Amino acid sequence: MQNPSLNRRSFLGKSLGTTAAVAGAAAADMTLLNALAQPAVAAELKKQQKSVILLWLAGGASQLETFDPKPGRATGGPYRAIPTSVPGVHFSELMPKMAARFAKNTAVIRSLNTKIADHGGGATLMSLGRRDEPSVRYPDLGAVVARELARADATVPDYVSFYAQTEGRGSAVGQSGFLGARYLPMFLTDKSKPDNLERLAAVSDLDHKQRADLRDMLSKRFAEGRDNAAVGSHNQAYARVRGLMASDKLFDIEQESQKMRDRYGPTQFGQQALVARRLVEAGVPFVKVGRGWWDSHGENFETHLELVPELDHVMSTLLDDLAERGMLENTLVVTLSEFGRTPRINASLGRDHFASAWSTSLTGCGIRGGAVYGKTDEDGQKVVDGEINAAALFATIYEALGIDVTKEYHVGPRPIPIVDNFAGPVTEVLA
Amino acid sequence: MAADPTKLKVAKDLGRPDILFALARRKGSEHVFVGGSDFKLYDVDLAAAKPEPKAVGEHLSYVTSAALAGDDLLVSGGYDCRLNWWNAATAKPVRSVEAHTKRIRMVVASPDGKLVASVADDMACKLWDAASGKLVRTLEGHEALTPSHFTSMLYAVCFSNDGKLLATGDKTGRVCVWNVADGKRLAQLEAPGMYTWDPKQRRHSIGGIRSLAFSPDGATLCVGGTGQIGNIDHLDAPARLEAFDWQAGKSKLVLSTDGKHKGLLEQLIFSPDGKWVVGAGGGTAGVIAFFDIKAGKVLFQDAAPMHVHALAMNETGDKLYAAGHNKLLVWTL
Repeated sequence: MQNPSLNRRSFLGKSLGTTAAVAGAAAADMTLLNALAQPAVAAELKKQQKSVILLWLAGGASQLETFDPKPGRATGGPYRAIPTSVPGVHFSELMPKMAARFAKNTAVIRSLNTKIADHGGGATLMSLGRRDEPSVRYPDLGAVVARELARADATVPDYVSFYAQTEGRGSAVGQSGFLGARYLPMFLTDKSKPDNLERLAAVSDLDHKQRADLRDMLSKRFAEGRDNAAVGSHNQAYARVRGLMASDKLFDIEQESQKMRDRYGPTQFGQQALVARRLVEAGVPFVKVGRGWWDSHGENFETHLELVPELDHVMSTLLDDLAERGMLENTLVVTLSEFGRTPRINASLGRDHFASAWSTSLTGCGIRGGAVYGKTDEDGQKVVDGEINAAALFATIYEALGIDVTKEYHVGPRPIPIVDNFAGPVTEVLA
Repeated sequence: MAADPTKLKVAKDLGRPDILFALARRKGSEHVFVGGSDFKLYDVDLAAAKPEPKAVGEHLSYVTSAALAGDDLLVSGGYDCRLNWWNAATAKPVRSVEAHTKRIRMVVASPDGKLVASVADDMACKLWDAASGKLVRTLEGHEALTPSHFTSMLYAVCFSNDGKLLATGDKTGRVCVWNVADGKRLAQLEAPGMYTWDPKQRRHSIGGIRSLAFSPDGATLCVGGTGQIGNIDHLDAPARLEAFDWQAGKSKLVLSTDGKHKGLLEQLIFSPDGKWVVGAGGGTAGVIAFFDIKAGKVLFQDAAPMHVHALAMNETGDKLYAAGHNKLLVWTL
């Protein structure tokens, strides 16, 4: 059994060097978060701030019409496979922009076998990286990343989740589980901007700031001579208020030039991806942008003809934008669904739920560009090489971000490994 | 004896390993050419006791449509954006043209066999000289993007019986009627009931105009597709026909199948006497329905043995040939 504080020390050692490691060694978990609030540590961390943007393709996108085409096979569908920038690797013709960018920063895993092919179960599995169980409330990917990468002095949300469509929303709500309410997402549905962040009109900004200063002065006076974590936490919570209020502008794409907005395009998915970039730029460690609904039981090829080019455009624009800002090396962009779709084409020209052999992509932070891991058979019916499960994918994501994949949390006396069953990462896709 | 839709009966049912989208029948015969998901075109003699499909040629993707211009010129179109000309008698290739910049959805020949029209996702309808393969004219009147900023599709095209009119129909429900002689647009009609954009539950779309047919006198234009769908994961609405007085620019009536028979009407054909129009298609299951436009009612509807993607009729209107999901079928009326 591992000591969680040692794991944290290990992480800090990798991330921050000796200063933070000493701080970590001296600290219990909560006080260590406080140590991270020290200006020197926070400044160093800010430089290295890593983030995740999860493009969640709700309902289940087809691997055959995206990253694992099977042209010319009975299961292949009508779309051609086009060469990517990596010789010998092909994507669906619906993804020309990502095909051209593949070698730069993106890796594809074509060998997910996650076994659960119902929406609720699949979404839970691919959100938690493990099967849910009644006795433990596990945190989802966003909560874990927020927990591991958020700064204690953060004045921005730790975890923001967009999910506009109503279908599947019940499965999309974030779950922080035993990590606590701080790591619950700011969950946005029909709007791309949170409600109630604005200052009340009756209170001027100067008045609001002066009230905060007065509260801060009184709180600090109260805290003098009191070595109490609860008091510190109270002050931190208040300190976040103005930051969260100021983050109102982060959700406002009107703050971007028209040219930039045009690059992302007019669809809601494009606009939310732009907000995601703004959030990550401001230090939000995890942003999930849900795009749905890909559940193409009927008219699969028409549905994907509509949704994949949008994904291709928005994703490639996001990657270009992050790269131009020098952010891509510290931002991991993931595409993921609850499962893929059947190779068999049904009578309605649809594809049904399929968890046995499907694909995901990882781009940016910690990823080896142009890598392809895993292989499906010629019809895409089963994985023939490199089969992995959800836990291994999560381990890969954590490893890419520099999060210790051997870490354990504790729920009471029970150790909970950060990765289910201590699964290892797919090192072949890591830089 | 006049054909009776209520006596619809399967006369021949051939299983196929592929999904057939294209069907062209040689006039006055039981010969059909079919093509589909295996990228190939086949010649099938349905008069044979055990029909054996003979390969004619192939495309680089799904074969979506085929038409016979006259007796011997077969023109096929596909997702490879190409129109391929074949000698139907010898099964030899004549020419291949990169006809469109996006996927070809439908190909039809004019009644006199002199012109071929193709429609594609580049939203253009192109008229071709059937004999030479030369482009005669490009007709453009359909928007490239849907109102929700996604790419649209141009699914359907048909000639009038006199060959003077051409109609085209797109995903959002827009129909254009064209004067074949000069390419002038004569009318623009809207059938938005054929298109479902779901802005809330699933945030994408389904449907579109999939079939068109002029009445024999050219006065009525019928449009086929499906109705508004609640759950757009499936083709979960009754099949739908809308009839227009296209010269007046008015919708005359809308007819739908009942709740048991759902999906798209992929093809519409008027009976030779114009008394009824038959539509076939489907969703998970197949559907066939006969509509009396004058009386404004569904004459007869039934489940088809498969989702029908293409339909042809004999000259007397008492036999139907259908190609679809894993089947090639002959019905008698």
